Amino acid sequence: MILELRNIDKSFGEKEVLKGVSFKAEGGKAFGLLGRNGAGKTTSIRILMNVFPANNGEVLIDGEPINYDKIGIGYLPEERGLYPKKIIIDQLTYFAELKGMKTKDAVKSIDYWLSRLGMTEYRNKRLDTLSKGNQQKIQLITALAHDPDIVILDEPFSGLDPVNAMLLKDVVKEQISKGKIVLFSSHQMSYIEEFCDSIAIINAGKVAISGDLHDIKRNYVRDKLVVSTTNPKAIKADLGDACIEREDQSLLIQLSDPGQKQAMMKHIVENYDIDEIKVFEPSLNDIFVEYAGEQI
Amino acid sequence: MKQFSKILKFELKGYVKNKTFVGFTVFMIALIAIVMFIPNIISAFESSDGSDTPPTDLPVMLVYAEDETLSTLVKEYFANAFADYDVKAVKDSVESIKESVVTGEAECAFVMNSAASYTYYVNNLSMYDTNTEIANSVLQEVYRINAMIQNGLSPDIAGEIMSVQIESITETLGKDQMQNFFYTYIMIFALYMVILLYGQMVATNVATEKSSRAMEVLVTSAKPTSMMFGKVLASCIAGFSQLVLVFGTAILLYNVNKESLSNPLIASIFDIPVELFIYLIVFFVLGFLIYAFMFGAVGSTASKLEDINTSVMPITYLFIIAFMVVMFSMTSGSVDNAAMLICSYIPFTSPMAMFTRICMSTVLWYEIAISIVILIASTIGIGVLSAKIYRVGVLLYGTPPKIGNILKMVLKK
Repeated sequence: MILELRNIDKSFGEKEVLKGVSFKAEGGKAFGLLGRNGAGKTTSIRILMNVFPANNGEVLIDGEPINYDKIGIGYLPEERGLYPKKIIIDQLTYFAELKGMKTKDAVKSIDYWLSRLGMTEYRNKRLDTLSKGNQQKIQLITALAHDPDIVILDEPFSGLDPVNAMLLKDVVKEQISKGKIVLFSSHQMSYIEEFCDSIAIINAGKVAISGDLHDIKRNYVRDKLVVSTTNPKAIKADLGDACIEREDQSLLIQLSDPGQKQAMMKHIVENYDIDEIKVFEPSLNDIFVEYAGEQI
Repeated sequence: MKQFSKILKFELKGYVKNKTFVGFTVFMIALIAIVMFIPNIISAFESSDGSDTPPTDLPVMLVYAEDETLSTLVKEYFANAFADYDVKAVKDSVESIKESVVTGEAECAFVMNSAASYTYYVNNLSMYDTNTEIANSVLQEVYRINAMIQNGLSPDIAGEIMSVQIESITETLGKDQMQNFFYTYIMIFALYMVILLYGQMVATNVATEKSSRAMEVLVTSAKPTSMMFGKVLASCIAGFSQLVLVFGTAILLYNVNKESLSNPLIASIFDIPVELFIYLIVFFVLGFLIYAFMFGAVGSTASKLEDINTSVMPITYLFIIAFMVVMFSMTSGSVDNAAMLICSYIPFTSPMAMFTRICMSTVLWYEIAISIVILIASTIGIGVLSAKIYRVGVLLYGTPPKIGNILKMVLKK
């Protein structure tokens, strides 16, 4: 199954929030939707979920316009919250029923998830008696109980302790292995790098870059070198502005042309005492800063 | 439709499990039960005395006049007029009369300066003391009889002239406002209370979902129209069942205690003609819905519960004005005045205004039909519009937007 958003435009009043947003997410893989606060991630998700219509553009499943009666979507919103004063099993059943489940099936599925997440003892308690992390696990059940085809997780790891984060990772991996489309939105790049095969970075309502994460990294211009040395001052004095000292005290050397790579490496190895020299491979964090850092 | 029934069920369950709601209903039923049994309780205490002899220690009222004849005459008439006083004619000085009043030996005293002038002595003058008014009319009568006797009429004839009784019969061809006044009053008041109470509840309910962010999941799971109509109808059913319980208890207990509650005023409250009762239900339900929709829409624009009070104010004012117009017209007796005529066709005021006119005046059938049709159409229109406002409103956080801006956003789509 392939989910595709094609040329989505959306404006609220005078404000254009999305300008031709397009991306593709595949079943059995996780997709990372990245962007700074206010870039348009939540609006994209809401259009995908039919909370409000787009001004232009379409949401497609396998090339056909999405049928919301057939495609189930589970959503863990970034702004968490359920009914604080209501009994957990009651509200979870209610949400599952709203998604079209029969009461009996809903209760069965919820009981499975409560036990899977170690929350069975809270089944008949009020939500506001639970800790924040536990409330978040309850919220996760609203996204998964009806066995949706598309799972959208907005900042799923925020507020979870390492044990619960591990538990959630297992759940996410399981959902991916079931062939579902898992859509991540997060600022925690390490998680995105761990799970997502492809990403889209949205900046100011436009997709700045999208595609396979490995391809994006590989296509990144290889015009920087990283050098570990015991004598950074000498190299800095030699190369001037082209050389920046990084936080881990290694040096980042900007080449004026990727073709200079071999020559510069040779020059440094021959002239200075160094521990390591390599071509700079960007982390997702670096890519994010580069593509999402400007224009807001 | 399936979603709608799930929402309705969930919301209704919320009301049934709400302790305040249940507690208030039980309290109202208990209150009604007590009120309806008061005559029985009183008569139970009375009969336990075992005798019908009136209590003996009546408060003492002193009467003093220099003139012997006047003193006797006034004492005789006062004894009749002030049945709950032990009236005594005295010959003491004014000073000692005052002292008796101050010490509490006597409760009050009338010192006659002449046949047409007196001084009333009382220790603490109660707000409800009507003794001087009674005395004035009694003394006027005494004065007139005296004057007639002095002009040659016999005392018997003079007494007869003064006590002539006029017989009258009133036949009501339209509506008897007196008889209908009380149940109309009670129903209008009930409508007012229920709409404000439940309207606030709907607004709070929506705003709570929004402020607790349960809305984030809800909007992705259910259609806004289902949400709005489910919530409002649930509140309507809850409110209506509460009224049925409270008034049902009242009617039941009235029929049980019918004999001891023979007061015609109470009887007039319970003798609502079936036709009026049907109108009552129609106007009640429609009035309830139209306001509940508006309250729901406004609730969806508030981000915090604290914002609600200010946000709902325009609706509350609109409603209070309608209530005032109806109440003033009712108490002034002219329910067909121009304001009421206009209000009977405006959907926000017609539930109260038209119902009052139907109860207390003669309204043509097509006037009622037009009013109801306008009301039904507006209720549906407001319902759909409020669902649209709700859809936009629930996702807006921050300062509540102006209603004009919201309408612009809604209508633009």
